[in-house]
Amino acid sequence: MNSHHDNRPMCVQPDSGLVLTTDPKPRLRWTVELHDRFVDAVTQLGGPDKATPKTIMRVMGVKGLTLYHLKSHLQKFRLGKQPHKEFNDHSMKDAVAHTWYAIRMQMEVQRRLHEQLEVQRHLQLRIEAQGKYMQSILERACQTLAGENMAAAGGAAGGYKGVGNHRGVLPHMDGAMKDNFGPTLNFPPFQDLNIYGGDQHLDIQHNVERSSPSLDGHFMSNKRHGPYGGGGGTGKSPLIWSDELRLQDLGMAPSCLGPQDDPFKTGVIQIGPPSIDTTGIGKLESLSDIYDTKPGISNDGIDERKFELSPKPERPSPRRAPFQTERMNP
Amino acid sequence: MAMATDNAFEVDFYSNSTTTSITDDSPACTWNHWGSPVVDWNSFSSDPDDFQDLIESMMDDGTGFELARVAHETSNSVSTDTMVVDEETNGDEDSKGLRLIHLLMAAAEALAGDNKSRELARVILVRLKELVSHNDGTNMERLAAYFTEALHGLLDGSGGGHGKHLITNGPHHHRDEHHHTDMLAAFQLLQDMSPYVKFGHFTANQAILEATTHDRRIHIVDYDVMEGIQWASLMQALVSRKDGPQAPHLRITAISRSGSGRRSIGTIQETGRRLVAFAASIGQPFSFHQCRLDSDETFRPSALKLVRGEALIINCMLHLPHFSYREPDSVASFLSGAKTLNPRLVTLVEEEVGPIGDGGFVGRFMDSLHHYSAVYDSLEAGFPMQNRALALVERVFLGPRIAGSLARIYRTGREEESCGWSKWLATMGFKPVNISFANHCQAKLLLGLFNDGYRVEELANHRLVLGWKSRRLLSASIWTSPHSDL
Repeated sequence: MNSHHDNRPMCVQPDSGLVLTTDPKPRLRWTVELHDRFVDAVTQLGGPDKATPKTIMRVMGVKGLTLYHLKSHLQKFRLGKQPHKEFNDHSMKDAVAHTWYAIRMQMEVQRRLHEQLEVQRHLQLRIEAQGKYMQSILERACQTLAGENMAAAGGAAGGYKGVGNHRGVLPHMDGAMKDNFGPTLNFPPFQDLNIYGGDQHLDIQHNVERSSPSLDGHFMSNKRHGPYGGGGGTGKSPLIWSDELRLQDLGMAPSCLGPQDDPFKTGVIQIGPPSIDTTGIGKLESLSDIYDTKPGISNDGIDERKFELSPKPERPSPRRAPFQTERMNP
Repeated sequence: MAMATDNAFEVDFYSNSTTTSITDDSPACTWNHWGSPVVDWNSFSSDPDDFQDLIESMMDDGTGFELARVAHETSNSVSTDTMVVDEETNGDEDSKGLRLIHLLMAAAEALAGDNKSRELARVILVRLKELVSHNDGTNMERLAAYFTEALHGLLDGSGGGHGKHLITNGPHHHRDEHHHTDMLAAFQLLQDMSPYVKFGHFTANQAILEATTHDRRIHIVDYDVMEGIQWASLMQALVSRKDGPQAPHLRITAISRSGSGRRSIGTIQETGRRLVAFAASIGQPFSFHQCRLDSDETFRPSALKLVRGEALIINCMLHLPHFSYREPDSVASFLSGAKTLNPRLVTLVEEEVGPIGDGGFVGRFMDSLHHYSAVYDSLEAGFPMQNRALALVERVFLGPRIAGSLARIYRTGREEESCGWSKWLATMGFKPVNISFANHCQAKLLLGLFNDGYRVEELANHRLVLGWKSRRLLSASIWTSPHSDL
């Protein structure tokens, strides 16, 4: 092991079994067993970077072992040299080992980060996919409801405008959907759903954007707008504009759903409001008020009231996220 | 349990009327059907503390229990993140919550006792009824409303026709009563407000993806496909998979039960259609099948259509908040049948229950209370100020679960074992499969989207557990067949 120490007189300490030279300045000989114990202690303490000479000394519990011994041995160990070799601080090998070790650590960290980013990206896409699927369920339900309400339209009291097949459901929405129903409806822009031949381009979706902690409209912001509504401008439902396309696809006469007189037409798409049932419009209204009115919601302008949490009146153009946060792009 | 402090809550302590805040007409919530209280509460004027005196005075024959002991047990059995136990001062929400807990526990104790104390239980429940509300108030108050109702169901159930119906069919019965739009809305809310559904689905899906990277054909047998949303994200992931064969064929066989009546979010056929349409929309090769269970829910593996060379996955989601309860025999039959098929992977998601101990009905009751209070708190954190939304989810999903769960505890003396199915799989010889760094990472990221209160723990290499604060709630574990070389 320490080849050029061999010519120095050594003696074995009786108590601890340490091998010290008998120099005036005793140097410790790091035997295999001692080194193994050292490595054990360092591992126990969480690695060469976490361990300190003091803690190592405590853990090893070897009599006669001093901080001085441990400091230098630890330093050499950290440089990643193999055990049992003589460590010369100035040797080329040390420098190489040191660099190699550092690079390895770097690579490891980067690899993990990269993996994490991948996971995050995948997660976003998966959440989107769930959202789209959910949308398909809700549409189906709406269509069913439209059918049911049609059947009941004759007998129901008030509220029905009774114009055309698809109107039956809508007037409910007018009064009932006054309160913002938007927060839970984190559907991605409709055209991304290929069912209707829309664009397959997967923008970062609002639900993900809204829920990402890195955005201003933080999911758990204290602004009491509900999970997706923190702060103005961050909570718009994409359905505001996508549903126009949708309705046309469905063959609903757009004319009877003009934005001016039917601000909540999109309610048809979004969801059968929680309790549309053929037995009571009143019940619908009361349960559609599920979402307690949020303080920040502006009620000016019919269009704005729809599902926007932002007071801004602008409507986003279709196929683009209403608020651009480039850093969220995958 | 965190108390929501920003809800105005008004309670009329002195009124004998039924709480008017209950607006829904679900049959379980028909307070009016209950008998008039044994005692005329109007005669008691002031402090609710008088009630305790009343109780004690009723127990002069020594068959009762001391509320002091109850209080002591409460503070021992309830975990560290419940409210601080302080003096009972009026208007202090924490003490109000604590009072409710005392009452609930007292009622549970009374119910677990002999016939004489059943009348005592009835009295306590009446008192509780006045203090709680399904729709208003703090989490504790709403939670207590459902527990009170469930206890009352137990009281009436052993004998009463209506009540019995409540108990045995539990959540399933309730579920059919709700209009399916309620179900949908509540489900949507649940997904938005909390990560429970996504945690189970995504963890399972990630494991499936990792186990099938080189397969051209994947066959998943889904024990309870419900509305099928789990597979949407799996399909998306398969379609965008870079490594492995492009567009592997996905086949899903949904286990269906005969005679289960109309499913609330739609039938299995509808689910199949939806999945087919969704797959088509993203270009995923897909086919959908059903496999019927026998009338006693025995699973016959031979009824499955298998294809050579496909990777077989068994997917078993239990206890997600919107799921119906499945009888243990049915689950056991399914999982043991699955073993004979030598599946590549078994994904299991189940509720995580507290340790059983020997607390009897009351102990399990308190554990259940703790469990659901954590759930309530977590939902509320996900949707602050949205009491009505919460109330909907509670009414549609949680209330029936509470009732069903308590009924089962009452009847059988225990609810499911703690991580019961996970242990069961181990004893059956299934081998655990490690959950990857990516999977664990995904779970953490997912929870980060919701609230800091959620945590994911890796209780074992093959098991991730989702919890709220210090309470573990849902466990996802991954297994493979005993002879697999995964």
